[in-house]
Formats: sequence, C-alpha cells, structure tokens
Amino acid sequence: MTVPPSIRLEAADLSARLPSLILAARNVAQTVRHGVHGRRKAGSGESFWQFRPFLSGEPASRVDWRRSARGEHAYVREREWESAHTVWIWFERSASMRFGSNLAPVTKIDRAAVIALGFADLSVRSGERAGLLGMTRPLANSGVIESFAEAIASSERLHGPSDAPLPPPAPIGARSLVLLVGDFLGEPAETERTLRAIAAEGAVGELVMIVDPIEETYPFSGHVEFHHPVGALRLRTQQAQSLRDAYLARLAAHREELRRLCARLGWGLSLHRTDASPAEALLALRMRLATPAAGAYRSA
Amino acid sequence: MFGLPLAFAAPAVLVALVGLGALYYLLRVTPPAPRRVQFPPLRLLLGLATHETEPARTPWPILALRLVIAAMIIVAMAQPLWRSLTALGGSGPLLVLIDDGWPAAPTFDKRVAFAREQAAAAARAGRVVALKPLSEAGRDVTPMNPGEIDGRLRALAPAPYVPAREAALPAIERFLAASPGADALWIADGVELGGAQAFAARPALARSVDVVLDGGGVRAVAGADNASGSLKARLVRTGAAAPAVGVARALDSQGREIGRAPFDFAAGAAVEARFDLPVELRNEAQRIVIDDERSAGATWLVDDRSRRRRVAIATGASADTAQPLVAPSYYLERALAPFADVAEWRDSASDPIVALLAEKPSVLALADMSVAPGPEHDAIERFLEGGGVLVRFAGARLAGGDDDLTPTALRRGGRTLGGALSWDTPRHVAPFDKDSPFFGLAVPDEVTVSRQVLAEPEPGLAGKTWARLADGTPLVTAERRGKGLIVLFHVTADTTWSNLPLSGLFVDMLRKVVAEADAPAAGGDRKGARSATVSLPPWRTLNGFGALGLPPPQAEPIGDAFADVGDAAHPPGLYGAPESLRAVNALAPGQTLAAADYGGLKPRVGALDAAPPLDLRAILLTLAVVGLMIDALVALWLGRGSGLRRGAVAALLIVAARGSAVPHRAQAADAPPGAHDMEAALLARLAYVSTGDATVDETSRLGLAALTRVLSSRTSAELGEPAAVDPARDELAFYPLIYWPIVADRPQPSPEVRARLAAYMKNGGTVLFDTRDALTAIPGGAPTPEGLWLRALLAGADVPALEPAPRDHVLTKTFYLLDRLVGRTAVGQTWVEALPPPDPNERVQRPVRAADSVSPIIIVSDDLAGGWAADADGHPLFPLVPGGPRQREFALRSGVNIVMYTLTGNYKADQVHAKDIIERLTR
Repeated sequence: MTVPPSIRLEAADLSARLPSLILAARNVAQTVRHGVHGRRKAGSGESFWQFRPFLSGEPASRVDWRRSARGEHAYVREREWESAHTVWIWFERSASMRFGSNLAPVTKIDRAAVIALGFADLSVRSGERAGLLGMTRPLANSGVIESFAEAIASSERLHGPSDAPLPPPAPIGARSLVLLVGDFLGEPAETERTLRAIAAEGAVGELVMIVDPIEETYPFSGHVEFHHPVGALRLRTQQAQSLRDAYLARLAAHREELRRLCARLGWGLSLHRTDASPAEALLALRMRLATPAAGAYRSA
Repeated sequence: MFGLPLAFAAPAVLVALVGLGALYYLLRVTPPAPRRVQFPPLRLLLGLATHETEPARTPWPILALRLVIAAMIIVAMAQPLWRSLTALGGSGPLLVLIDDGWPAAPTFDKRVAFAREQAAAAARAGRVVALKPLSEAGRDVTPMNPGEIDGRLRALAPAPYVPAREAALPAIERFLAASPGADALWIADGVELGGAQAFAARPALARSVDVVLDGGGVRAVAGADNASGSLKARLVRTGAAAPAVGVARALDSQGREIGRAPFDFAAGAAVEARFDLPVELRNEAQRIVIDDERSAGATWLVDDRSRRRRVAIATGASADTAQPLVAPSYYLERALAPFADVAEWRDSASDPIVALLAEKPSVLALADMSVAPGPEHDAIERFLEGGGVLVRFAGARLAGGDDDLTPTALRRGGRTLGGALSWDTPRHVAPFDKDSPFFGLAVPDEVTVSRQVLAEPEPGLAGKTWARLADGTPLVTAERRGKGLIVLFHVTADTTWSNLPLSGLFVDMLRKVVAEADAPAAGGDRKGARSATVSLPPWRTLNGFGALGLPPPQAEPIGDAFADVGDAAHPPGLYGAPESLRAVNALAPGQTLAAADYGGLKPRVGALDAAPPLDLRAILLTLAVVGLMIDALVALWLGRGSGLRRGAVAALLIVAARGSAVPHRAQAADAPPGAHDMEAALLARLAYVSTGDATVDETSRLGLAALTRVLSSRTSAELGEPAAVDPARDELAFYPLIYWPIVADRPQPSPEVRARLAAYMKNGGTVLFDTRDALTAIPGGAPTPEGLWLRALLAGADVPALEPAPRDHVLTKTFYLLDRLVGRTAVGQTWVEALPPPDPNERVQRPVRAADSVSPIIIVSDDLAGGWAADADGHPLFPLVPGGPRQREFALRSGVNIVMYTLTGNYKADQVHAKDIIERLTR
C-alpha cells in the first residue's frame, strides 16, 4: 500500500491536535541515546542540572572552575541526563486489512495507517525517535510521516505489497516501545510467538486491534457465501443468521486470548473500531503511555 | 378464440404451455445465487457447523415472473393474431377475383393486402384458395397453396388499361362449376368500365359472390386541349365518393412540373382544370396528372398533335384595318387561331418578314406576296433550312412576280374560271389522294375556285401536288426544301379567287399543314410512309400506376390511324419515334367515368379499410425481453456480485441508453463553433495545443491546471480552466499564452495553420514551444527530432531573431527572481526574441533588460508541463530530474514568471528601476 496523501495529512493533523507525549521515564534508564527530554537526573546532556562537590579521584578536568572560584570547594558541573526513547511502529498491510464494509467510513488499513503514522509524528514531536519496524532506522526529524510513507512505497515497489499478518523479525533495542497496529485475526499461537520474540529483545509493546464494525455486528442472514479477501477460503451457508451467536462467542474468545497474552507480557491492548474517531484511539494511546500503568486492556 | 378476435397461426405450439408445470417445480428448487460477501474474520467462522436444513426457495415473485416470461415466449411462438376474425364464412373453396385495371391502382396496396389476409385466413381455415386477377383473361383458374397465392399477390401489379371482364368469365365459370360450394370474393374497383354490371349479372357469380369495394371513388383525366391562352384538362370522376378538390399538374418529358391547376368538382362528375401558361411552356407538357391519384387513368399523355404552333402571317397587301373582310390575313388568322398562335405584322413600312422570323415561328404564311432576292429572301431561306414551313397563297402579286420560293414553277398570269369572259364554271375541289396529307378530309361541295395560278407542267408535279381541282390542276402543291417545307395554295387567302377560305375545309387543311411543321423530314420517302399501314412501335408506356417506363413485351405497334384507348396489346403510352411521338391514353377524350352497378350483389363498401390483423408476436417477445431484464436485475440485486451478470446488465443498460446517447453526440457536433470561442473570450485562460498524442495532451492540461492553481493562490492572475486549442480550427486571439509541446511523430500542420500562428504572434500573442528534449539533446550536436520538427514548423512563419535568454532577461524577474527557467528537467536552454544589445553608453548598469514588447515566441526544452503536472490532490505526476521538491517549486516559479511576462510585458523591467527613479525624484 502506498500511503495516500490524505492519510498522511490526517495523521499529521491528528498528532498536531494531541498534547506532546512524554513517555513514562521508567523504561528509559539504560538507553544511552541523547535526546531532548531530561531524565531528571544527572547524566550526559546539554542543560545544567546541578553542581556537586568534587570527589577525589575524579579527573581534574571535570572541575568547574568558575563555580569553584567563588567558594572554597571545588565543584563539578553536572548536566541533566537527556535521552531519547525509541518507538518502533508497525502496521499490518495485508489484504484482510484492506477490507472496509459499508458500515465504516474507511478501510481498516487506512485507519491503521492514520493511527500508526500519527503516533510516530506525536512521538517525534515530543522528542522521541520513531522507526518503522523492519523498514527504517529510528528517525527524529519532523518529516517522519513523509519518510515513513516513502519507505512503505519503496518497499512495495521493491517487494510488492506486504501480506504479512505480523511484524517481521527485526533488531529492536531493549527498552524500546513497539506499537503494533493490525486486526490480529490470525492464529493466536502465531501472534504469541511473534510477540514473545519481540518481548524477548526487551521491548515493551502496545497492540491496537482495528476492527471493522461489520466484524463485530455480523449483520448477515439468508443465503450467504463468505470468502476471505485473499486465498480461496470460502464458506457458504444457507442461513447465515444461525451462525451469529457462535461467531460472536468465538470472537470474544479470540480477543480474550490476545488480552491474556498481552497481560502476561505486560503489553497494552486496545480495540479500535473503524467507525470511531482515530483521535480517540491516539488519545488513549498517549494517555496510557504517559502513565506508568501501561498494559491494561481497554477498549477505545 | 374465447369470443376474442384472437387466432393462432400455429396453435400446436400452445401444447408447450403444459410444460410450465414442470418448469414451476424446476424453478422452485433452484435457489437464487448466494450473496457473496468478503469477511476477513472468516477463520473464526470456519469451524462452525452449518446445520443444513432444506434449500432456500426461489421467492415467489421471481418464480411468477419467470413462468410468465416462459408463457409469453410459448404463446408468441404460436403466432397469435389479433382481429383476424374478418375471414369469410363458408368452408368450400374460395375464389378471389381482383379487379386489376388502372381504376384499382390508387388503392392497390390496400387491395392486395386485403386479398392476402383473406387468402391466408381461408387457408388457415383449411379452405382451398384460387386467385383470378381479371386482366388475366385466358389463364385457367387453379387452386394454389397459400405460399403461391401470397407470392402471386405480392407480385401483382395493376394493368394500365381496364380489362374486359367478360373475357375472364369462361375460366371462372369453369372453376365454379368444377368446385361446387365454392365461394367467390370479388375485390372490385367500383367503375363500370370493362363491363362491371354485365359481369355482376352473370348467374354463375350472382350465386355466391361477395363484392368488396373501396369506399373512395376514382378520378381520371379524359382529354386535354391546348387551347389558345391555356392548357385545359378535362377531369372526370365516378361520383361524389371521389375527392372533389385536388390539384392537377402538368409535367414535361423529364417529369419536371411545369404548372399546377387546382380544381374542384363541386357536385359534378367532370371539371376542367386550366393551366395558364405561356405557349412555349404549354408545348413542353407531356403528361397531365392528378395529384394523389396514382393510376394510368389519372395520367393524360399529350403528344405533338396538340402542340400549339406559332404562325406568322405576312401579307403583301397594305393592311386596311377598316375593311378586314377583304384582307387575306383576316381569314388566315381566323382559320389558324383554333390550333395555333398567330403573330401578324401589320406595319408594312418596315421589313416585315425578317422581323417576324426573328420571333422564331414554326410556320410562316405569306399571303399574296412575292419575295425578291434580298435580306427577306435570305431570311426565308434560312428559315426553311432550319425546318420551317412556308405557306404561300397565290394572288395578283405572286402571279405577276417572279420568285423561286414556290414548290413548282408557275405560269405567269393565272387562270380565271367562270368569269365574265370565260366559258368555264368555277371548279370544285377533287377528293384528296391517298398519299396526300389531306387524305381523309371531307370535301364539301360548295367549295369552288374561280381563279388560280397554274403550275408549269413538269415531271414530278403530281408528286408535289397535295390537292387538285376537279379538272386535275393543282390546288395545293408542296415541296421539301432542306429540312423545311414550302406549301403553296394556288388561290388567295381571301375570298376573291375562291370561297375556300370560308369553308371548314380551309381550317382543316391549314391544321394539316401546320402539323407538318414537326413531322420529320422524310423527303421522298414521305409518300410511302404516309400509307395507312404505317406502324408506330411503342416507345414508352404507362404502367398501372401512371409511371412511364419501357413497354412490356406484349405491347404491339399502333397504326397511324389508331384512335382507340389503350388496351392489353396497346397499353397507354407514347408510340413512334422519339422526335414525333403519338400518345395513346387510357381514356378517350370526353369519356365519362360511371360508377358500377352491381345489380343484385350487395357490395361491402369500405371493407378494405378495416385495420389489418395485428401480429402479437413482437409485443409478446418484447415483453418477454423486458421481463428477462427485470429478472436479471432482481437476480443481480439478490446475488450482488457476480461479474458475469453485472456485465450482462451493463450491456443491457448500454443497449437501452444507446438510442438516446447517439443523437446527443450528433448534437454536440452540430453545436455552433462560436460556443467554444465565446467561453474563451469571457475569461482569460492558458491554452495548450492539442497535439493528438493523448499522454502529452493530458500532461499539458494537468500541468497548466496546476500552474493556474498556483497563479491564483500566489498572484492576482486568476485564470480560467486551461483550454485545448487546435490552431487549425479555433480562434487563437483569446489566449495570452499558448503552450505547444512538440511531439516529433505528429504530422506537420498545414500552411494555413502556420499563417494563423504567425498572425497570432504578430498580434501580440506568445507561443511557448516546449521541445521536451533537454535530456536527449547534445549541446552543439545534431538536432533532436523535436528540434527538427519545430524548425520545420517555423520555417514558414515570420519569426524574429532568437537568442538564448540572457540572465538579465525580464523573464527571470517578472514575479520571482530566478536564475533560469526549469521544468521537469533543468538543463535545457531557453530561447526568446533577441533583445537589443546593452547600451554601452548607459551610465548605470541596469539589472534587467527588456525589449519594448513581449517576445512572441519562447522556446524551452525542459518539459515545463511535466514539471507542473499534478493530480487533483496536488501530487506531482512525474519524477523530476535531478529531482526534489525544490526543483518542483522552481518549475512552478518559472511558469509563474512566464505567465506574468506574457501578461505584464516589460512592466517589471521598469519596476526594478523604481528605487532609482524614486531616489532621483526625492533628490
């Protein structure tokens, strides 16, 4: 999928409307990258943090002579430790995501792109670095949406449209944040394997499930032939309405399984219906990532 | 059927309706196609067992619709006919008699259609059918199968004459006798001609015949008289049923209308239609027809005999109008007036004969006049050579004179019979010889001749003599002279020498003489040709509908004395050689048309006008197709998504829409060419030349549209949508700037286009040529195909000297300050009209130079439109070389500058000096 300009505009517009995102500090302790937001502790950085008395054994070059000259003790100027968080973003681009029913204003993939790119922009503007998982390195420039869009477009040109229902294996720094947007309708076991691989790298994650309203409401009856957007998978039923209850139960079970998996990993899982506003989902993401208690399942 | 006027041609097919029951069950268990829906979480559904109950049923409205469609098709195949019960009763053989003379011609289609229906209806009822057109007298009547009958009826054409019905009787009576219980149907024409009453009274027919008549009557032309002043046609009709009011037309030999004459029968059965026309036009008339009456009877053929000749009369006597009865011209005029137009020269002072001959008469009559050698003699010689007829009358002058314009040499003086000094009594006129043109004219006893000029006896005199006196002396002699003819009456044209001018014979003789004016010059053969055994072969004959055509093979020649109406052997038409035709008409002059009296038979009047049976097949099949379309739409709506059906429905809709779509296109093509120009004139807009290459044209359009958007957002130039122009067709004057992308493989425009282009540039327009070859052109190398094409284009145009745009050209300063113009590529050279060289004496170095006017031509090679082109969302369509948003911006700025340059000219060149000027002013 090449990201159409309207999506880019919408993502940029959306992120501009949200307050700047400050990620919870607890996960960034050992990330050594410089960034713009202070970690409220001494470390390597630009801005002044505090003067502290010179400890013997330190190199003399650390002494701040200007301050020390005003008193009797030698002082060392400490700077605030500044570091940037890395946010890895991935959204599903499979055929199943390209589905959009007449109950929804947009297709699932459009909504996923808006949320993913909006979140990327939000992160960058609040000082984080954002990367497209498996496609770009973490970027911190303001044109991140365009860069991502270009990366996706060139990847599609080179490799054709991606049909992967789950993110590709890619090096992810420890303590990075991973945002996965997709419908996650595949086998839960496979999803679990992927998520565990990411978690094993030390990253924490956030899952946003995109749902088309028709997938939740199942408004079918009569003689219906269902078929999957890709492949020859099809199901013909004479009375579609008789399957409704069983389907809804299965859907609930599927989600419950994902929710348990995320809870086990300490990841967050939110559900987004394409007939709702993407701002809701992004706001919820931002709220949850700003507070330390990330990881609870809630529906947006 | 069921009291309805409905019948089936193939009722056996209706048995198939039984099959509808089976179809009902078949359709009932065939469910409609399922709805196909995409469903991404299909995996979750897969395991769920679908408890299959009974199959879905076809909804009953669809079921009913399909059964109705099937029923309609079956019924249509049975060929239903509405209103077919007009068939006759009876069960025996049916004999169809058709009057096929010319009175039936105007309504012949109706008659044939009626006959075909009746024959078909009788055949459907299992009856034997025989056909007898009454013009086919001799042929036996035999039953035929329905196909043969139909073929015969289709091929039947009316005869141009009225057949005698009696002649057909024997065959009919034989048939009726041979097939007892037979019914006869007589489709009659309602005219007594041909013995309708006698025919109807025949007992064989009276028993079982059913007469069918058309409601309308018959009109015909019976005679035409080319009288003095007007051409009069006598029109007749059968009775009040025939339309009373109408128009008669006179046609010439080419079928062109010469004149029209309205007529109104009022209550009568005959009326005269007058064509008030000049005599020359009247003489051209060959046919007189009645409008809306297509029949041989309503067509009167006019031959040469009724042509009016112009006769000029000159007399040697001084005209004495006070005593007309002694002037020879008086008698001549009175005798000629009934059949010729007379011109007389009364002024004897001038040169009468030459003046009279200048009016080109057919006949020149000279009453007692001798023609001396001189201009008059020469004029008469020429007149004779050209085929004129000279009629001379004797008299004192001729007898005393001496000229050679006489058929025979004359003795001087004359001969007086029965005068005071003679023993003889006035002589009578002898009966005419067989080979004389006057043969057949009755010679009255009272005509006497008392004086005459005598011919010198010479060999051949007898052959020249047309009339003689009882004693054998010639009274009228004639001689061919060239193509012309000289006729000499050996008496005077007045009553002094004889009382011949007082008799009716004089008129008849003159008529014959004048008729000679158009007879072919047969010379000596005339004598033999004049015999009664002469035969005139048919040249063109009328068909029953009154159209002239080649004669049928059975047409026979007519004799010279033929005076009958046309019949089978001599169909009405024109006979003889094309230069002297003899007309034979379907009616005799003065004949009347009587309506037929069918005696005891009760004719059904107007039965022919009954509406023909309606074949319901077309209606039923159309309804079935409409039903199928509805069914397809419903199936589509139910199944939603089968591509095949969607295509079918789309095709149906296209077929339905075609009828209306095509005329719209045609209308668009007919739209006045001004509309496009009008629009262009109302709002300034950029224009591009449509090259015919779709990609290039679309790029130009999108590029200029993007540039227009940029202009209206950044500058005050708010232009309209860019226009495509064809320099060969559109007016260019409305566009300030025309963008012309060069496509090398397009044909060169015509020289007119170049001239228009040159005029446009001369009048202040700017053409922006874009060769788009910056990447392929080698600087200093061979020119690219685009470059060559442009050179060829401009070879004929008056193009100013060009130079590569210098850096200080105003083009780079008009809105943005640019180094150079760029487009999709950024390496090309820009050429503009050469500026005057910088003035070395100028005190300050000017930052910009400009000529006095806008360069009429700008040549770039960087594909500007490609650099501007963007889709509706503002996304660039083409990658730039080398690329980057900055280049795109500069491409647009180049475009803005170019447009500003063409709109404002060298204004900006002054504007950059404004600072200096203001400084100077404040100093």
